[in-house]
Order: sequence, then structure tokens, then C-alpha cells
Amino acid sequence: MSTTFLPCGDYHQTYAEDHAWFQTKFIKGKMIALFLVLFVFIPMFAGDYWISVFNMVGYTILGALGVQLLIGYCGQLTLGHGAFIAVGAYTSTLLILEFPWPEFMINLGLAYPVSIFIAGIMAGLFSVLFGLPSARVKGFYLILTTMAAQFILVDFVITQYVSQIGGRGQAFSLPPGTMKIGPWVIDNNYKVYFFMLILVILSCIIIANLVRTRVGRAWVAIRDNDISAEVMGINVIKYKLLAFFVAGFIGGITGSFWISNLAAISPEHFPWFLSLWLVGVILIGGVGSIHGAIFGSLFMVVIMEVLQLAIIPMADTYPKLLMDFLFIKEATFGLAICGFIIFEPNGMAYRWWQIKNYFNLWPFSY
Amino acid sequence: MELFAMTLVTGIMVGGIYALVALGWVLIYKCSGVLNLAMGEMTLIGAYVSLTFYSMGVPFLLALLFSLIIGFILGILTERIFLDKLIGEPVLSVIMVTVGLSFFFKGCVELIWSTDTKVFNPPVFSIEPIKFGSIIIGEVYLWSFVAAIVLLVIFVCFFKYTRWGLAMQACADDEMAALSIGVSARFVYAAAWAIAFMAAGVGGTLLGNINGLNISVGYLGLLVLPAVVLGGLNSVPGAIVGGIAIGVLQNLSGVYLDRYFPGAVKDIAPFVFMAIFLLFKPYGLWGWERIERV
Repeated sequence: MSTTFLPCGDYHQTYAEDHAWFQTKFIKGKMIALFLVLFVFIPMFAGDYWISVFNMVGYTILGALGVQLLIGYCGQLTLGHGAFIAVGAYTSTLLILEFPWPEFMINLGLAYPVSIFIAGIMAGLFSVLFGLPSARVKGFYLILTTMAAQFILVDFVITQYVSQIGGRGQAFSLPPGTMKIGPWVIDNNYKVYFFMLILVILSCIIIANLVRTRVGRAWVAIRDNDISAEVMGINVIKYKLLAFFVAGFIGGITGSFWISNLAAISPEHFPWFLSLWLVGVILIGGVGSIHGAIFGSLFMVVIMEVLQLAIIPMADTYPKLLMDFLFIKEATFGLAICGFIIFEPNGMAYRWWQIKNYFNLWPFSY
Repeated sequence: MELFAMTLVTGIMVGGIYALVALGWVLIYKCSGVLNLAMGEMTLIGAYVSLTFYSMGVPFLLALLFSLIIGFILGILTERIFLDKLIGEPVLSVIMVTVGLSFFFKGCVELIWSTDTKVFNPPVFSIEPIKFGSIIIGEVYLWSFVAAIVLLVIFVCFFKYTRWGLAMQACADDEMAALSIGVSARFVYAAAWAIAFMAAGVGGTLLGNINGLNISVGYLGLLVLPAVVLGGLNSVPGAIVGGIAIGVLQNLSGVYLDRYFPGAVKDIAPFVFMAIFLLFKPYGLWGWERIERV
């Protein structure tokens, strides 16, 4: 899946044009329209419920971006990304609740932003720790070690030990007003929404640019064939661990962002299902593209909401259905993954690419 | 010392069940190269089916037989519907299809049988423990160990001496060559899934007899992974040794490590062990070492 074809008659004349993000006027207009929709129309017209759905989408996108970077760009299979999201969330929460911040930092609202950054670093380091086996093993074996990360970190370390810090019991609740960036207190869904938008856009820009630098090219080379990448002089281990670090960093930021939406966090928010869900999202959206992470998240979250909306009216006649919704959701998720891999292995991003090309090349599609 | 011996024996006996399920896993991998993460849910389905028949008043062995037949049918259906189309796809796709299957199966099990714990009533095996000198074993454990050993022998004989077994080995070794000498790969894959489903059913039924049956029995499907990694992914004796070793390890760490790391050491120890083991010997004890070329 390479870049899209330009419409008939458009040519690049400088290298700058060749590398520009938005290559034609139409695309610029489209992006402006998209930003208008995201920043103005959605907050204006969507109700509180749909805003929270969008927050869920954003959370999934952020998580899936890290997985996409590892699986889609560096080819390192992971089934334990949820663990690093959990590490980020807990680091951030603990820093906010327990760390003796100087008075002026709390007043200036610096505690949360600083903790986001530290959470990213922390999660990145843990990710590198569990990525270390990637120096020796790959494929299925790597899946096993990352899976071990999930069980060791979330089910054991966080559940048994980290949750005991401060003697609060299983759930850490964040008092209102602690989630503030500068003077901006994040206290309702709309504010979370804007915070989410900024983070998603920032991380999309960072990853999109990262994968077209030297680092990104090295990752793609490792993904396509790690032995030939090594022959070409790429330090495979270094770049693999770097990929783990960046993915963990994004995961940490994801977790750290998500606590602004959750009033209380507990280990149940980061089950193994979350890790699998994220991998499923990028498989459905398309492996190896940022569009894939976004489309996959939109599709999965919205499909689940639609399923819920479809089931609620039926609940009067079949009350059992509402009780069993969770199970139906699981089964649907499983079937969706199977269906996509079997019938559309390139994911939704590939379809999107085809549609764009169709219109760009229309009416002469040769 | 007595405690140690007790733990060891219990571990070996529980390990027998793990070995049984690991056998099914290895069989699928050996024949079709599919890394199956849905093993736990396959176990659940087999166990629930035999429990349903048993609570309808069918004798235990007959119920087990029914569950084997249904497992056989389900295995062939699963292979035909989902995995047939994935031959030759990248490893992640195949794994994620089995993950998808595991969610699908789990959802279905929860829908059909709900999440409450169910027990075999009346109990199949007597609660009265069997004594060997100072060591005490529950009857269930003993039977499951016996079942695992019997099945191991059957599997080894099957692979060595029967036409189908040889066809399966040929397919595992080199699919292309097997096809060219007239082995039907599709038949082999279907047979592997059917047999794995049946082995999982036996394992699940035995497990269900120990502590009753609920959705968490499916966790066993994950414990199989350390077992097969230890033994080597495509080794039948490796699965048995790995399963028993994991059972022993789990019980020993539950007894001895619990005072240093309070909490769920027992559940986590196999995975820690697996992660460390992978660093030193990624192909397991008897797995094939694949030499990579560009």
C-alpha cells in the first residue's frame, strides 16, 4: 500500500511538494472540513452520550497507534499492549495522588502534564523490558512473551502490589479538580473530548513523520525481512527496542489520558481483552497504516454501540438479552475479526485507498 | 519433605490434564501450522457438553462419548469454515483468527450455559482419597493422569503405525511434497482439528470434575502455552513432559513462593517461567530448530 495516485494533470515540481502532507487543494479543503467537523460540529451537535462514544474511539485510536507501530511498521507481534497502557495509567495516578508536588506546581496545574510525560517514559521502559526477548525470538514466541507481560504486570504486580499503595483498596479514585492542565480543569466529557482530539492529532503527526524518517525506514525493513535488514547494516536489536519504547510511550500516554475520563481506575480496566481488542482493531482497520488504526477504532466502537442500541429496544420482549449483552458483544467481536481476516485481509484502509484512487483517476483509471 | 512429595505428586497429576490439552494443541500445530489460542474455549465446550448429557441422566462414559462425537463434528466444522481459507497466511492472521474464535466460542458458551459454576451431580469420582503410604491423592487426579498416559500411547502409535498418522506427519514435514504423493492436506487438517477438539473435551471433562465447571476453566487454554513452549511446539512427548512440568512448577511455586510473594503466584509462575525459558531455549526441549535464510 503506497501513496495514492495523483489526479490527472497534477505534477510535482519540487521535492517539497513531493513530501507535502496535503498535496492538492482538494485535500487541503477536505482536511479543513474534517477539522471543522471534529472541533466545531461534533461538540456542537453531538449529545453527551455520543461525545463519550467518541472519547472511547479516541482512546482506542491512541492505543491502536502503539500497536500499529509495533505490528504494522516494525513487525513485532504483541498481545500485551494493554499492560503498558495500565502502567501509564497507574504511574500517572500514583504521581498525582502520592507524589509531594511543590505548591506552585499544583497551583499552575503542572502536576498532570508532567505525570503524563513520566507515565509515557515509564511505560516505554517496561515495554523495552518485555521487548528484550525480541532480540532472540520472533513471531509466535514474541506473542508469548508480550502475553506474559500482560499477566505479570496487570494480573500480578498491579493487582497485588501497586493497588496496595496508600491503602485505598482495589480502586484508586481521583478527586475532582486534580485533572488539570494549566488553568484548564478537565471535568466533563466535552473537555475530555478536546484533550483526546489534541492527543490523537499530535500522535498521528508524530508517528506519520517518524515512519518516513531513517528510523521508520529501518523499522519497515525489519518488518519485511529482518535478516536482510541486518545484512544492510541496520542495528536490528536497537531499532526493535526503539520500536518497543515508542509504542510503550504512546501506550503510557494513552493510559495517562484515559484516567481523565475514568473517575476511578482499577486493574479491571486493563484486562487481556484490551490487548486483544487493540490488535483486532488494527487487523480490521488495516495493518501498516495510520488510517487503519483510525478506521478500525471507529468501526469497532461504533459497531458495538449500534449493537447496544439495537438490543435495548428488544429488551422489553426479551429481558435476558440485556443481561447477555456482554456475551453477545464478545461473540460479535470474535466473528468480526475472523470475518475481516478471511474476507478482507488488507483491512478497511485498503478499501479506502482504492476508493480514493478510483476518484482521483476517474474517468481514466489506467 | 512430606509436603514436598505431596505437592510433587499433585503437580504431576494436574499436569496430566494440562498434558492432555497440550497434546491437542501440538497436534494442530504439527499438522497444519496453526498456533491455536482457542484451546481453552474448546476445552470448555467439550466439558459443558458432557456435563449437560451427564445431568440428563446419561452414564458418565456415554456422556463423554457424546461429547467426543460433538467435539469431532465441531472440530471439522471449525476447520472447514474458518481455518481452511487461511493456509499460507502470515502467522499473525492465523493467530488472530483463533483469538477471534476463542471470543466467539466463549460468547456462545456464556450465552448457552451462563456463567454460574456447575458441578457434575452426582459426583463421578468418589471424594474418598486414595492413599499411597503417606501420600494422598484424589481419585479424579489419578484418573486424569491415567487418561493422559493412555492417550499419549494412543497418539504415538497413531502417528507411527497408521496410515492417517503417517499422512499427518508427511503433511507437517512438507505440505507440498505430501500433496504430490497423494496425501489430502484438507483431510489431514480436518482430522487434526477433530482430534484436538476431542482431546480438549476429555481434558475439560476431567477438570470439570475437580472443582466444578465455569468459564474460568478456559484459563487452562493459556496454561497450555507454557507447556508446549517448554516441550517444543511440534513434539508430542514434549507436550506431555511440558504439561507435567508446568503442573509441578505451578504447585511447587504455590506452596513455596507464596510466602515471599503473597498473592496469585500460582497463576503467574508458568508465564514467568515461560518468558525466561524463551530467552534461553526458544525452540523448547524437543522442538524443531528452524534455520532461517533470506
